[in-house]
Amino acid sequence: MPSVTLLGQAVIAGVLIGGLYGLLAAGLSLSWGLLKYINVSYFALAFLSAYLTYQFGTFNGIAPWWSAVILVPAFFLLGVLQHWTFMRLRVTELTSLVVTFGLAVLIESLIQWIWTADFRKYESGFSGLTSKIGPFFVPTLDFLALVSATILAIATWSWLRWTYVGKALRAAAMDPEMASAFGIDHRRLSFLLSGICSAYAAVAGIFIALIATLAPSEIGTWIGVAFAVVIIGGVGNPLGALLAGILIGFAESVTMAVTQPAWAPLVSFTILIVLLLWKPRWT
Amino acid sequence: MAKYMIRPSRRAVLSSLAAASLVSAGRRVYAAPAPIRVGCTLALTGPLAQTALVHKLAAEIFVADINKHGGLLGRSVEYVLYDDQSRADQTRSLYEKLITVDNVDLIMAPYATAATLAAISVAQRYGKIIIYSSMAQVYLATYDRAFPASHGGPHPEISNPKVILDAWASTPHPPQSIAIAASKFPSALFEAKGVRDLAQKRGIKVAFYLEYDFPSRDMNPIAARFKDANADLVWLGCLGVEANQLIEAMTKIDYKPPRSFYLFPASGPLASAPGGEGATAFSNYEEHPPMDKFKGADVLIPAFHERAKAAGMPYTRVDFQAATEFAAWQMLAAAAQATSSLDDAKMADWLKHHQVETVVGKLRFNEEFNCGDDLSKVKQVQKGKWQVVWPVAFRQPGTTFIAP
Amino acid sequence: MLLEASHLNIAYGDAPAVWDVSLDVDEGEIVSVIGPNGAGKTTLINALAGLLRPRGGALGIAGTDLMSVASHDFCRHGIALVPESRRLFAAMSVEENLDIGGYRSAARRHRNESLEQVYALFPALRERRRQIAGLLSGGQQQMVAIGRALMARPRLLLLDEPSLGLAPAVVNDVFAAIGRIHRGGVAILLVEQNVPKALEIANRAYVLEQGRIVASGAPEPLLARAEIREAYLGFAN
Ligand SMILES: Nc1ncnc2c1ncn2[C@@H]1O[C@H](COP(=O)(O)OP(=O)(O)OP(=O)(O)O)[C@@H](O)[C@H]1O
Ligand SMILES: [Mg+2]
Repeated sequence: MPSVTLLGQAVIAGVLIGGLYGLLAAGLSLSWGLLKYINVSYFALAFLSAYLTYQFGTFNGIAPWWSAVILVPAFFLLGVLQHWTFMRLRVTELTSLVVTFGLAVLIESLIQWIWTADFRKYESGFSGLTSKIGPFFVPTLDFLALVSATILAIATWSWLRWTYVGKALRAAAMDPEMASAFGIDHRRLSFLLSGICSAYAAVAGIFIALIATLAPSEIGTWIGVAFAVVIIGGVGNPLGALLAGILIGFAESVTMAVTQPAWAPLVSFTILIVLLLWKPRWT
Repeated sequence: MAKYMIRPSRRAVLSSLAAASLVSAGRRVYAAPAPIRVGCTLALTGPLAQTALVHKLAAEIFVADINKHGGLLGRSVEYVLYDDQSRADQTRSLYEKLITVDNVDLIMAPYATAATLAAISVAQRYGKIIIYSSMAQVYLATYDRAFPASHGGPHPEISNPKVILDAWASTPHPPQSIAIAASKFPSALFEAKGVRDLAQKRGIKVAFYLEYDFPSRDMNPIAARFKDANADLVWLGCLGVEANQLIEAMTKIDYKPPRSFYLFPASGPLASAPGGEGATAFSNYEEHPPMDKFKGADVLIPAFHERAKAAGMPYTRVDFQAATEFAAWQMLAAAAQATSSLDDAKMADWLKHHQVETVVGKLRFNEEFNCGDDLSKVKQVQKGKWQVVWPVAFRQPGTTFIAP
Repeated sequence: MLLEASHLNIAYGDAPAVWDVSLDVDEGEIVSVIGPNGAGKTTLINALAGLLRPRGGALGIAGTDLMSVASHDFCRHGIALVPESRRLFAAMSVEENLDIGGYRSAARRHRNESLEQVYALFPALRERRRQIAGLLSGGQQQMVAIGRALMARPRLLLLDEPSLGLAPAVVNDVFAAIGRIHRGGVAILLVEQNVPKALEIANRAYVLEQGRIVASGAPEPLLARAEIREAYLGFAN
């Protein structure tokens, strides 16, 4: 029987990593649900943002929050540019996976070319920060990632739910022609959304830089779990993605703490399959 | 690229543009007499890329050096390298291509176990001699003309755990308990089971034995388990970045194990990691006395420093991976020179009956699976640098094995 | 004239569907378009709403040329469509659908007033404002589709077969609502297969067959023509 300390620590670790899963999956979820692009380039973009945060912090002495001030708007513009290119190339939902996959490979190669395949660790000076609550440790940066993920998810969800632009985006995803009949300029709004998806990748990247050790090949290790998170959370639902991320992080972490850690991916995909069969309302 | 499912041809062309500067594939330099072409693949992209780059540099250094000194058998040597993307299936078809389409004279093995096995199976079909530098399970290489350059002996699952437990047993307070976690990577599992069995036999309590998925995203729960078990020795069967991830995760929960061992860490990052001090790992080569005087070390060490720096690698010292790759080429050249031929049968036969002086020491190949002795050593991070601490004969004068 | 369409040609790719159609609707009018299946009625009405762009001809509303206006700007000129088979935003709530109808900025300013008008017209929708539109009955969905168009505060309402698939009692309700909308000052262009209803409510009507207008005029003279009675009402006398 695992000790209470171990179990508690595993729960904390799982819930906290769920925040990162949620941040990473948000772009894919929104673009898949509302732009009808299955865009896997966001994972590569997140790592590009992580490497830039590392670069700024290590070689230019720029603190991570200033990096955020630079990277979030810059990635927003990158997302707009990406969307413009996709429209020019007439990318469809079907071809988007292939195109964005190619883009991800291209970005990975670019990262490897600039920063080599070697591991990079951003020594921000904050990675050791941790608060002790009873016998448990809560790493500050992981906690901040979860808090940011929660704030962003709630903000995005409310924006989609309550504002005219949010409703218009959802309507246009269902029937762009009818949406346009009521004055919705889907093209203009989709640029905005694409920028937001890409900005999410920037935020995820900043936390990845702060929390993880970077290697170009690490990009691939997150794709599987992010797809699971997007599908469990409901495509196009940023709050669902965060909750699903926490669910998967929690389930995997507890599995790793009490049984063979190798079963962890099995557990998350079991959750995915059960939810797909059961089909609750939100998916 | 290994983890992506689809590889569209037009995009692939674009994507390989960036990598093209790294790969000299297919570029032929015609000179008289025609060069000896040695074909090889390495994981230039994908999860194994960081270590494969070390192999690439070591191979290039050898080729540049031998060409500077008149080449091999009076002909220059050309290194024909493809990117196998860390994928065994790619490796198989690329070796087919090297042998049947590119018609290379000789081949060298790729990086990591799965790819090595794939390459050996192709080599066997065409009767090519193949020297491999990164596969611990030599018993999988039943092919008569496959030779290891990394020396763990014919039964590393028995001899390797002995090396590491002997090393710790030599310290004033040998560990009474061990906690083992291993990545589900074939060579890691095989070593992990070996150390578990030997520890039990020696009366060292095995607090737990765990396997986790490769590549891992999240080492936090495993760190929590190590802390909870609080064993005297933490043994992690990790690959690459996982060692650093575990150390970071343990630091976050305020745990520093009294003794730790990491199976296949990324040497540089582990040595420079805060919290890495005192960590141990296997080595067969570190560039300090007495090994800096071994054959070829004078060529390899300065050139590797230079090229690793130029490639932007943060850690530029020669280690296990670089030295073994270099030794593999030394073996290939020695066999060709001794037999004055590029004939696979003759070269293989010669290797079996002779010893070769290499940068990692004197190697022999006359035991089971073309093996010799287990030359594994134990290294330790001391003040941010790796030092061989076991066996004592390879210790740099003035250093000790730091242990509780 | 409010809406003026002259010599419109509309095609799907290389396949022409409507030829040389001229049609107009004046302020305060209800105009019906009748015709058999596949005649091109939906094609025509969608072109008037901006969803399809004509290949040739002229289209204008209240003196503004619509040929060069972007599809999503048609509603700014007072045109709103109740499309064939409703095409609601099925996963969204009733009120969200209505809000999409009132998306254009001029309509947003009157949101609450428009909502009240729609709920007054269709009281059933008020109770169901939070329900998912796709789960409503056919008749209720038709109410949402009409309500959504009204939220845009149109001058001209385009209705494409609002009676499609509805029970006779519900059809009566829908036509009653159309009458009230008309009395509220909105001009109406109605496409219908329910010819008796369409002609009963209309001031004028057009008959569309195989992509061409074959007859037009006030309902009574049209009904007086034997071939039209035979084709659309199923008897000659
Ligand atoms: N999207 C389309 N692509 C190609 N051809 C189409 C398309 N929609 C309709 N058509 C064709 O255009 C012609 C007119 O169709 P339309 O739907 O306008 O007829 P309709 O009068 O509305 O018929 P109904 O009474 O069945 O609704 C038909 O021949 C039809 O096959
Ligand atoms: Mg129709």
